[in-house]
Amino acid sequence: MNSASRVQGRILVASAAAVALTLTGCTPSAQTPSGDGGGDGGGAQTLSVWHYFSDDNQVAILDEYKAMFEEANPDVTVENVFVPYDQLNPRLISSAASSTGPDVVVFNGADMSTLALGNALAPLDDYWADFADADQFPESVIHSLDDTVYAVQGYVNLLGLWYNADVLGEIGVEPPTTIDELDAALTAAVDAGQGGITLSGLPNSQGEWQAYPWLSSFGFTYDDPQREPLVEAFSMIQRWTESGALTREASTWDQTVPFQTFAAGGHAFAENGNWQMGTAESTADFSYGVVPLPIGAEGGVYLGGEGQAIGAFSEQPDLAWDYLEATYYSEEGGVIAAELVGSIPARSDAAGSEAVTGNDLMAPFADSIASNGTNYPAGVIPPESVADVQLAVGQAWSSVISGQLTPDAAADQVLAALEGLL
Amino acid sequence: MSNLTTAPPAGAPSVRRRGGGRTPASRRRITGAGGNRHLFFILPAALFLLVFAVYPVVQLVRMSLSDVRVDNLGADWQFVGLENVIRNFGDGAFGGVIINTVVFVAIVTVLGLVGGLAAAILLAPTGKWPGLILALLVFVWALPPVVNGSVWKFLLGTQGLFNTLLTDLGLASTAVPFLFDDRLALVSVALVNSWVVIPFNALVYRAAIIGIPGELFEASRVDGASRWQEIRHVIIPSVRSTTMILTVLTVVYGFRSFDFIYVMTFGGPGTATTTLPFLGYVQAFVRFDFGLGASTALIAVLMVLVLAVIYARNVRQEEK
Repeated sequence: MNSASRVQGRILVASAAAVALTLTGCTPSAQTPSGDGGGDGGGAQTLSVWHYFSDDNQVAILDEYKAMFEEANPDVTVENVFVPYDQLNPRLISSAASSTGPDVVVFNGADMSTLALGNALAPLDDYWADFADADQFPESVIHSLDDTVYAVQGYVNLLGLWYNADVLGEIGVEPPTTIDELDAALTAAVDAGQGGITLSGLPNSQGEWQAYPWLSSFGFTYDDPQREPLVEAFSMIQRWTESGALTREASTWDQTVPFQTFAAGGHAFAENGNWQMGTAESTADFSYGVVPLPIGAEGGVYLGGEGQAIGAFSEQPDLAWDYLEATYYSEEGGVIAAELVGSIPARSDAAGSEAVTGNDLMAPFADSIASNGTNYPAGVIPPESVADVQLAVGQAWSSVISGQLTPDAAADQVLAALEGLL
Repeated sequence: MSNLTTAPPAGAPSVRRRGGGRTPASRRRITGAGGNRHLFFILPAALFLLVFAVYPVVQLVRMSLSDVRVDNLGADWQFVGLENVIRNFGDGAFGGVIINTVVFVAIVTVLGLVGGLAAAILLAPTGKWPGLILALLVFVWALPPVVNGSVWKFLLGTQGLFNTLLTDLGLASTAVPFLFDDRLALVSVALVNSWVVIPFNALVYRAAIIGIPGELFEASRVDGASRWQEIRHVIIPSVRSTTMILTVLTVVYGFRSFDFIYVMTFGGPGTATTTLPFLGYVQAFVRFDFGLGASTALIAVLMVLVLAVIYARNVRQEEK
């Protein structure tokens, strides 16, 4: 490709991204490293960190990391830049096409392959090979593409079944350990005039993330997608919506709304993540607890969470690595994430800290990791198909919750979409 | 006058002319220079349009004819002809998206125009209250769509204001699924879009109504016309050209509406509120199939162009 057409392409990409961001009302300012911008030399430096956190407790982690790093590096200013979840990937990819971007990226770990293919992330191989504490991290949190490491997760997030102990006490049921028990509890809750369960049915990757445990509990896998498990799982969801245990409104809820609804009281259960511990503590005025999702031995719970990486066009990658090493990848950083949000540290030493082992709410999540933890996204999905698969399953999930599609039609739709993607 | 246009004979003493002694030839040169000067003033706007309107559209066409994915966005774009368009039309869901778009645009256009005209008629008299309401309308129109959409999402929720009123007043036994019923959701988002477009249309209509000669209203009153007859036989015919322009503007607005769908339903439930602009966004910025997204955007542009041509032909026929 000649340089002129490359420049044209970059101008277009930048224009398209600007238009798209303007359309959605989200125009984060471009972050260009200031100061000498030439690596780790002297003088004031600014380190830009792009993220999508909007929850106060999650933002607090970034603020803590910023304070930690700035205290240890007085000449450095860490600039945390919020980009809405749906805009982060497009923004990173369009920036990369014009050879710009942040120093550090905190993103949905499942999107690593998309971002790496889009040339938005810098390889971490050399840094990781020299990292003294690398052996503290399990393989499952190290994200690679074509044998190159592009991101590592400092912590793991996953879904569990939150319960309102007051409601369960009122209806006289114990936290469920099987789907049958969950069904019975939901029926009892609805009969008592309480809400049943809240979850997300947004027709995108968030919907797919929340759908997968239920789909897999009936035997669905991406390795060998079959119709019957999908129909059974979708039928269960429509039983819940028909009985009133699950509101059809969930079909357009992202993951924040269902937990806020649960935390407001009056619902027996919420399918949501460990990262909601801070919100639960600050919002819920009832007794609550968590159990692993009752999805049996076959069910899988994605081991998600944010991946951290160095931007491909960072002008100070060494400084960016120093930041990651001192914050997300440090024992202290892992403990901070656990204390503030309830994220489970990926480092084995941090995972064994009092902040984790002394927290009753974390134990069920740790149990889930051991019994049902599944790589996210599934390894069988080709990197270039991850976004398409998430969208296809998320849309079907949303359609089933709203009643737009029957379980049979939704299963057929998912299988037809997967046929060309896997 | 003829003296001014006839060249003096050779050897004749030169006569100083009024106006600085410029010859007709020099005047023509000045006129010509003035024309060029006009062009000079147009140049910045033309350049701006070329860079920010024509060039992106050309690139959009080029992208729609190419295979552009996340891994070659900044590199070579492989030409694939009409493959992206064929892929779109080959997708079983695309027909539904077109229908969604047409229904959405129809609701926004009809309600936007009728509501705008009604508001303009009510606000046409000058005074304190019409001025206040007009200011409120401008405020509604000027609010960022993200803010507007978020507020409406809250209002239309099962625990929102509308459902609370409906159930408390006994008008509905259960909450109305404004945003999560597969049919009602599209109508709800379109209604919110109409609500936002009404203030702009009302402002334009109001200016047109104020411009109607007072004698027309006086004559109609002398003839004993009722208020409704006045609206039907005086106001509506008088604002016909305004209606034509607003129709095109509202249709175009409806076709490019994206933000309310993004904020209120994200195209869902399922794909129930997915229209062409939203589909293009999902294809380009969620699936990162930029070629496919560009072809969807181009189809939307072509649909608007067809409407614009129909409009232009109607206007020309009327002018004849």
